[in-house]
Amino acid sequence: MTMWDGLLSGLSVALQPAVLIYSLFGVFLGTLVGVLPGIGAMAAISLLLPLTYYISAEAALVMLAGVYYGAQYGGAVASILLRLPGTPQSAITTLDGYPMARQGRAGIALFTAMVSSFAGSILGIIVLVVLAGWLAGLATRFGAAEYAAMMVLGLVAASTVGSGRPAKSMAMVVLGLILGCVGTDVNSGAQRFTFGQTQLMDGINLVALAMGLFGVAEVIGNIRSADSHGRPRRIGLRELVPSRADLRQMPGPILRGTALGSFFGALPGTGSTISSFLSYALERRVSRRPERFGQGAVEGVAGPESANNAASITAFVPTLTLGIPGDPIMALMLGALVIHGIQPGPMMLDARPEMFWGLVISFGIGNLFLLILNLPLIGMWVSILRIPFRWLYPAIIVFVCLGVYSVRGATFDIVMVAGIGAIGYLLTLAKFSPALLLLGFVLGPMIETNLRRALLISRGDPMVFLERPIACGFVLVTAALILMAVVKALRHTRQPA
Amino acid sequence: MQRDQHDLFGGGILVALGLAVAGYAAMHYDLGTMRQMGPGFFPTALGLVLAGLGLTIAVPAWWRAGERRGFVGREVLCVIAAILIFGLLLGQLGLVVTTALAAVVASIPAPKPGIVWRLVLAAGITALTWAIFIAGLRMTIPVWPWSL
Repeated sequence: MTMWDGLLSGLSVALQPAVLIYSLFGVFLGTLVGVLPGIGAMAAISLLLPLTYYISAEAALVMLAGVYYGAQYGGAVASILLRLPGTPQSAITTLDGYPMARQGRAGIALFTAMVSSFAGSILGIIVLVVLAGWLAGLATRFGAAEYAAMMVLGLVAASTVGSGRPAKSMAMVVLGLILGCVGTDVNSGAQRFTFGQTQLMDGINLVALAMGLFGVAEVIGNIRSADSHGRPRRIGLRELVPSRADLRQMPGPILRGTALGSFFGALPGTGSTISSFLSYALERRVSRRPERFGQGAVEGVAGPESANNAASITAFVPTLTLGIPGDPIMALMLGALVIHGIQPGPMMLDARPEMFWGLVISFGIGNLFLLILNLPLIGMWVSILRIPFRWLYPAIIVFVCLGVYSVRGATFDIVMVAGIGAIGYLLTLAKFSPALLLLGFVLGPMIETNLRRALLISRGDPMVFLERPIACGFVLVTAALILMAVVKALRHTRQPA
Repeated sequence: MQRDQHDLFGGGILVALGLAVAGYAAMHYDLGTMRQMGPGFFPTALGLVLAGLGLTIAVPAWWRAGERRGFVGREVLCVIAAILIFGLLLGQLGLVVTTALAAVVASIPAPKPGIVWRLVLAAGITALTWAIFIAGLRMTIPVWPWSL
């Protein structure tokens, strides 16, 4: 099947009215949630997960993806207007976006964020198409040993490359892997950690876990602080029009940011947050007048915003072609596909090409919606920033409860959310990453199955992971990452506190 | 010196949890062999790794100073209580009463005094919930205590 046939079959999926409507809905809701300080993309996607049970797989993924990039744009709005990053990806945007707003150039900062996000996403989609075809071809040669080794690499990379101390991150991944064991063991049918509860036989409900860890825990942590910010002033459409000098400063940072974002987004473990930080650092380095950064430089908004959007698109490469989520948000997306009985992987490109191409095209359409929607709606987003959090969060709590209940009509799951939410808050307080816990939880059963399969094939010889060249490569990189983390940790303890 | 208590306790809990998981799995589930792993192998190994990681988190924390971050007890208590109310009473009292109760309890820690706005908010959320989930999505949940 050629690329053009694929694109055509994808168009027939992406242009279905239902898919278009859910894309629009996702983008709208994502922006709304991203604008609200106090709930991020993870919480938004968790909140919408129950809805995916009732719609087609394509519509579900398109909607959740829309929520994801919508939330990133919404986060930029809050960053620029209030210096309150709605999402971690847009934290760096506060550095120059907020000074621009203080100088009365808020409209131009918002325009820059909008255009850079759009350009980053569209270029990211092109990278996604090229990389996905190549990776899927490579992955058809993967066996159980390669999959197991690659997933372990993904988890180790996620816990050592990101922020936070590696030991704490890794502990969260392992805790997630343990939680993933709960339920009926696929290989033997044995009940593990169910303690006689029939409700736990299918494992811990992904929706309950995600909502507790992100929705509930984030709400608790933000009740006291979310209303302490000021109120942004209203912004008219005319303020969005940039000057010619502003426009000239955008293409360079957007292209460099997209390149960085596309690369780091596709790697497992790294993602849009890191890309946006790197892009900011790069722009400051290549600038002829680096002293302008932090004082409201357009490049400081354009680079990171294109980087995080490109990264959020190319993050779908490992998810769709290998079936392995590179970050916790992708883990939720994968969860949504698995709910529909679709196991993404190298086979999906061959077996269901219309699904893959439909998604790719929908990402483009969704980003177009985002751009069109946000020009006229900017005034509305600013008004939403003026709603106090205390009016919103009790409603969020009620919706979390009903959302979890709607999945299978079990009040048991609501009680689970209460417990998980309390644990999630304690974890955040002690600076343990709940996002990594979720990543471990989703990958756990897959790792165990592939590990057991690989060892069964090799007759119990663990050397299988070193004898097969690709698996060996993954193992070596994993070992190197762990070694680097250990060295870093030892140096850390020697320094006086 | 104020020790890094978050890591000290966090790491300690992880050690205990890891050992408990490993011990429970090793006692109750078949470990199997390398060639044919049983259901107990993976959790036992993970429990031990978790305990080890917990140690490397807790031990250095003993010699390290750490800030103490504020624990928002009232917020945790009220939000968790609201969810528990919802989960435990939905089957007894129906959607409307449960939603209103949960919304009021959830709003208790909000940083603004007054009971009136809390009641108005709860009424608004209840109406919205009914409109979305019962009138809009037609979910089959008992609405009133007498419609059970």
